[in-house]
Amino acid sequence: MSAGPLLAAHVASFRFHGADTPALRDISITADAGSLTAVLGGSGSGKSTLARILAAWLPGHYGGELRGRLELGAAGAGGRIEFTGGSDDPRIDPAAWAAHVAYVPQDAAAMLSTVRDTVAGELAFGLENLGVQVEEMRCRIADTAGLTGLQDLLERDPATLSGGELRRLAIGCAVIRRPSVLLLDEPFASLDAEGAGTVERLVRRLTAEGTAVVVFSSTADTLCRSASHWTVLGNTVLGSGEHDGGRQLAAGTPGTLLVAGVPADGDALARSGVVVPEDAPVTAPRRIHAGGATPLLELIDVRFGYDRAGDVAAPGTETLRGVDLALRPGEILAVTGANGSGKSTLLRQLNGLLRPGSGTVLLKGAPTDGTPAGVLAADVGLLFQDPRFQLFERTALREVAFGLGAKRRLLRRNGDDAGVRERALAALAAVGLDAHVNTHPLELPASSRRLLALATVIAREPAVLALDEPTVGLDRRGLEVLDTAMAEATAWGAAVVMVTHHLAYARARADRLLRLDGGVLTPLD
Amino acid sequence: MSRGTLSLERLNPLTTLTGAAAVAVITTAAGHWAFSLTVLGGLLALTARQARAAAVLRAAAAILLPFWTALLFMHGLFFPEGRTVLAELGPAAVTREGLLFALDAGLRTGVFVVAFLLFSFTVRVPELLTVLSARGLPPRLGFVVVSALTLLPAAADRIRRIRAAQEARGLVIGRSLASRLLAARLQAVPLVLSLVHESGERAQALDARGFSGRQPHTSLRTVPDSAPQWAARRVLLVLSLAAVAVRVALALFGGRA
Repeated sequence: MSAGPLLAAHVASFRFHGADTPALRDISITADAGSLTAVLGGSGSGKSTLARILAAWLPGHYGGELRGRLELGAAGAGGRIEFTGGSDDPRIDPAAWAAHVAYVPQDAAAMLSTVRDTVAGELAFGLENLGVQVEEMRCRIADTAGLTGLQDLLERDPATLSGGELRRLAIGCAVIRRPSVLLLDEPFASLDAEGAGTVERLVRRLTAEGTAVVVFSSTADTLCRSASHWTVLGNTVLGSGEHDGGRQLAAGTPGTLLVAGVPADGDALARSGVVVPEDAPVTAPRRIHAGGATPLLELIDVRFGYDRAGDVAAPGTETLRGVDLALRPGEILAVTGANGSGKSTLLRQLNGLLRPGSGTVLLKGAPTDGTPAGVLAADVGLLFQDPRFQLFERTALREVAFGLGAKRRLLRRNGDDAGVRERALAALAAVGLDAHVNTHPLELPASSRRLLALATVIAREPAVLALDEPTVGLDRRGLEVLDTAMAEATAWGAAVVMVTHHLAYARARADRLLRLDGGVLTPLD
Repeated sequence: MSRGTLSLERLNPLTTLTGAAAVAVITTAAGHWAFSLTVLGGLLALTARQARAAAVLRAAAAILLPFWTALLFMHGLFFPEGRTVLAELGPAAVTREGLLFALDAGLRTGVFVVAFLLFSFTVRVPELLTVLSARGLPPRLGFVVVSALTLLPAAADRIRRIRAAQEARGLVIGRSLASRLLAARLQAVPLVLSLVHESGERAQALDARGFSGRQPHTSLRTVPDSAPQWAARRVLLVLSLAAVAVRVALALFGGRA
């Protein structure tokens, strides 16, 4: 391995086209061979923007004005590249850059080519483009599949993978080209414990082999704890007048930024909104006021399976194989389980987006079969695992207002537009997005997108909140918003069922914890 | 991948593409409603044996039903060359010639639509891209061609997702035409915006993964092909050319076909 950093960058400033303030300011980062570096920051701190700059993933002239420099170590052909923010700045060849610096975006699906119909084909895609010979390709695919735990999924269509499986595939696609620098944006999002363990082992093996790994995260998790260097980015706290957003608040070893495992004085981590698991606010044990109340929602021996034609699968191959569940008013229930075990499938049974092959779903005592999903939506609000699939409108306000109020007619607007607007604004304020009323949902940072999706659910005040991986990518403030939303909903008698891999969070917040395994729910203690 | 009983997915993409094109050309050249009807019947029988038959038929119905209705109104009621009047409705007249014209044009379009939908819903995209690039088409251009050919299946998937998101927030899609039109209106803009947004994102990922590189690409999988398929493609091409030649010859020398 060559001496010195494999990648060094100084971002004096970076401003998106049309933005008033820079998204990033005065950030320096170096990644030495074999090192693990963590870039920590809350929502809107610019972590993903920084990752994209380092990965040469921002479109055109960086989609904005970049001042600073990027430097590839001896392994790279790029050398040192200076940016002055002018139109004559050098352009980076993304493919040549990616040969040295690989990037796995927070949204793992964005990594996929969409023109390969098997996991093996998707892994091969980057190698095929390099003209790697078939035998060599097969070896590397087998090797990468072993490292990322994808051995049993090689013939699966990537479009059918669960969120966690997709993330491991995206990481596999990045490492298969053997880059010298690997940038991972929220690498544990949607991963189960086993998947997280696989990724952690992979990172350790890569660093041992000399790869420089940079992790971008809003949580100071165990992987980040083992990093040799932390860079903490400031957070834009909405409405507070603080303008730390995109600024390097602190840098150093984890030891200097944490004292006895909790944020040290000066508190750059707290200010930035980074979640420090050991420092999580302790909540009083919840009083289960569900008692013997009649269940709001009941699942009785629900079976469901997919097959290609959309028919019910044969017995034994089903995803759900006799699920029983009763959810009472005021109760918070958490469901955990391995990636691909059918947790999201289970939640979709609750609001009628999927229907049981056999068995019954009772909502407020009445069977839901025959009732359209759109009608059930009044009582069951579903937060999708991937906010991209939940959000479809042009502005945050329109997004939350969709479907509120009177039934829509083809050529007539809702009669109670003013009331709808008020409710939508209140929901946006509740999740702290009141300053982004007119922002396009896809322009929001990933964590804010999840909060916007949450706003669309709470605005409807449903009797049952079904939350699919609600904590993914949320910073401290985001988790507080989520806590408040659940507390308020249960206070007036709603019930919450959440699917999560975040076991510590589930234990702290839920009244009951269940595990979905082999298609059935069992209590987990 | 699961297969239908007579799956087109197993064939080389060039074979199915040539087949779809040949069917369209020969039916147009034949220019007779009975021929078109026979071909359409054959295509529907073939469709019924595909794993994605329902999706193909739904897409075909969405395109053809409005088109056929318009044809019937246009030519069934207002056909200037119509002589045999079957019914008079004020300024409009239902004529035998008009109905035959509408039938002919409608069936021919039906053949076109079903043939290409059958192709685009059964083609395996990776294989199509591989054969196009093996024939020297630049990767980006190949991607555009493939995206265009498979736009409908991709859009159908996307609309399903958007509809799920909207139903989860109270959209009820009834069976009435008005309800379906409302749903279509609510889904059209999100569909276009999401396709545009995603194409920008996708371009970044494809570039980073070396898709636009100039070096020759290799391929993990070999695309299935066989001597009979190779021969079938040649025969289909010859038949198409012959059909066009006969049609032109008849038009020039022998009056109408």
